[in-house]
Amino acid sequence: MLSIKNLHVSIEGKPILRGLNLEVKPGEIHAIMGPNGSGKSTLAHVLSGREGYQIDSGSAIYKNLNLLEMAPEIRAREGIFLAFQYPIEIPGVNNTSFLKKALNEIRKHRGEEELDAIDFLSLIKKQMKLVEMNEDLLRRPVNQGFSGGEKKRNEILQMAVLNPELAILDETDSGLDIDALRIVASGVNKLRTESNAYVVITHYQRLLDHIIPDFVHVLSKGQIIKSGTKELALELEERGYDWLLEKSESPS
Amino acid sequence: MTEVSTNFKDCIQDQIHSGDDTDFALSPELRSSSLAILNEGIFPTRKDEEWRYTPLKDILGRKFEFISNDKLNPDLLVEHKKVVPDAQHIVFINGEYSAEFSDDLTQQANAGLAIKLMTDLDPTDRQKAENIIQNSKLSDNSIFQHIALGLSQSGLFIDATNDTEIAKPLHLLFLSSTAGSTSFSNPVNIIHIGQNSSLKIVEQFVSAQDAQAVTIPADYIHLNKGSSLDFYKLGLESEGTDHISNTAVELSESAELNMHQYLLGSRLTRSNSEITFVEPGAQAKLCGIFLGNKSQHLDIRTYMDHAQPNCTSDQSFRGIMNDRSRGVFNGMVLVREHAQNTDAHQSNKNLLLSRDARIDTKPQLEIFADDVKCTHGATIGELDEDALFYLQSRGISKVDAALMLTHAFASEITQEIQIDSLREYVQHKIANRLRHIQTTNA
Repeated sequence: MLSIKNLHVSIEGKPILRGLNLEVKPGEIHAIMGPNGSGKSTLAHVLSGREGYQIDSGSAIYKNLNLLEMAPEIRAREGIFLAFQYPIEIPGVNNTSFLKKALNEIRKHRGEEELDAIDFLSLIKKQMKLVEMNEDLLRRPVNQGFSGGEKKRNEILQMAVLNPELAILDETDSGLDIDALRIVASGVNKLRTESNAYVVITHYQRLLDHIIPDFVHVLSKGQIIKSGTKELALELEERGYDWLLEKSESPS
Repeated sequence: MTEVSTNFKDCIQDQIHSGDDTDFALSPELRSSSLAILNEGIFPTRKDEEWRYTPLKDILGRKFEFISNDKLNPDLLVEHKKVVPDAQHIVFINGEYSAEFSDDLTQQANAGLAIKLMTDLDPTDRQKAENIIQNSKLSDNSIFQHIALGLSQSGLFIDATNDTEIAKPLHLLFLSSTAGSTSFSNPVNIIHIGQNSSLKIVEQFVSAQDAQAVTIPADYIHLNKGSSLDFYKLGLESEGTDHISNTAVELSESAELNMHQYLLGSRLTRSNSEITFVEPGAQAKLCGIFLGNKSQHLDIRTYMDHAQPNCTSDQSFRGIMNDRSRGVFNGMVLVREHAQNTDAHQSNKNLLLSRDARIDTKPQLEIFADDVKCTHGATIGELDEDALFYLQSRGISKVDAALMLTHAFASEITQEIQIDSLREYVQHKIANRLRHIQTTNA
């Protein structure tokens, strides 16, 4: 589904990703862990098409498409979804009409009929139960005045409605209390199918108690320095990152 | 004085010497001081601080004439009347009152509301009306006010009695209809609202397609104790129109003004609104959108005179400038020495949608009292990149995302419009303008 090969990315001349490789197949959950500044969020942004990143070399092929050449909205319509670490507040844009517009753009792209207001409302009400979100939030402007937890739940609600093939969760657990974390994680688990995949970027092991990854990768200085299964996350929780970092910095 | 073509000035001079006293809206006594100013013929230049960002070269190069009601497609008016369907409609065509297209003034559509032509006033009404003008001393005493006062041959005296809630809005439609020569209109409207009464007025300035016009209207408004006025001004004139308006409002004790301006039209728009608190405890809320396209020039000036204590004013204006358009916001809040316990806020936020667009904003606060709560601020920015990306990341195209954000920026003001049909119309007009913006840039 997604194949990243030897990806080098820099911001204003400063290398951030330095030869990253990653293979994601349908149905898989990949966790990407790593210390601050290792390039985790850059990876999420580059995959979703954010401007400001220089692709120096390497490739990212998604469903046989050259992902890095596509506009962000085309990536979204092709099934990529980024759950933002810091969801943006958009005053004056109603949460429901925004999401309806987004869904219908994606449906149009897939050659499906657009949903009318009634069908959309029944869909969104169903998906709201998944994230235990208050209906009030639908009538408000996008994320405006939402608490940290409400914003993250709103991200998962959007994911549930837009039904992506590849979802990238960028530190979705940051700023969540344990109840919100459980709700968000159970939402993700219910949405999981054999045909969609998740890349879960996180700092901490605790999210991975709820969303069980098939693979855990450790990102450091723009490279994946170790990959393993969920046991690797537990080991990181116990020992921290230092032992891995020291190992990867081989003496010259 | 600047070097300009004298066409406009010549036309003004011609008007001074035409017509009998009875043709004019105001009495010879009131007109005489204005005529003296017109005879001097001094127009503001960019050295005048209040006109610094608004060049008058183009308008002063224009020739105009008074053109009587010509043949008009009545469907055009039907459409415009739908903007406020359940209203008393009064129509001016090329500056002249149109009995044909207006609701009958003698049939009082609203109990307690008398509407009379300025040219038909009896001495009592004339005294009442002209007192309101005489009490209004505009801080921007430019010649344009006097073009309306000295030369107007039309206008209304709108007089609401005491203790009455006037239910039906008053819809004043000012239409320019001539395509060949340039029509001139300068109606003077005087609005008097009695104690504890309330009134809603919608002033809509429109054009038949391709109309060429110079519109220089003036409104003088007096709110008595405990009264309230919702006043909406829509500027939707053609690209061949220059529009320079003055609105003066006096608020008595506990009176309440809600004034909206949606200025989307004309080649040049200059809208000056001056609010004076003449008694304590009154409130004024001013808001508006100015949206420029192509090479439109929109100049919004407000002057909030806190001359009395315990008054509240709140101003919120948003500019959206595209293409090579230019916007000016020049807002003064003056808090005089004895105006204690004043609560005054002013905000001007601007969005530049093109590199060639420009906005000059000048929020000013002068405070001479010591017990006041005042804030003001202005911002100029582009669309928020983070918000654009957020919308795009959900599958919405960049153009649509920009439209949504711009529309949202405007709707924070337009959502305050209390007349449903009007709110929908204004939002629709803004959306249309924005759609045009996107296609011209794409």
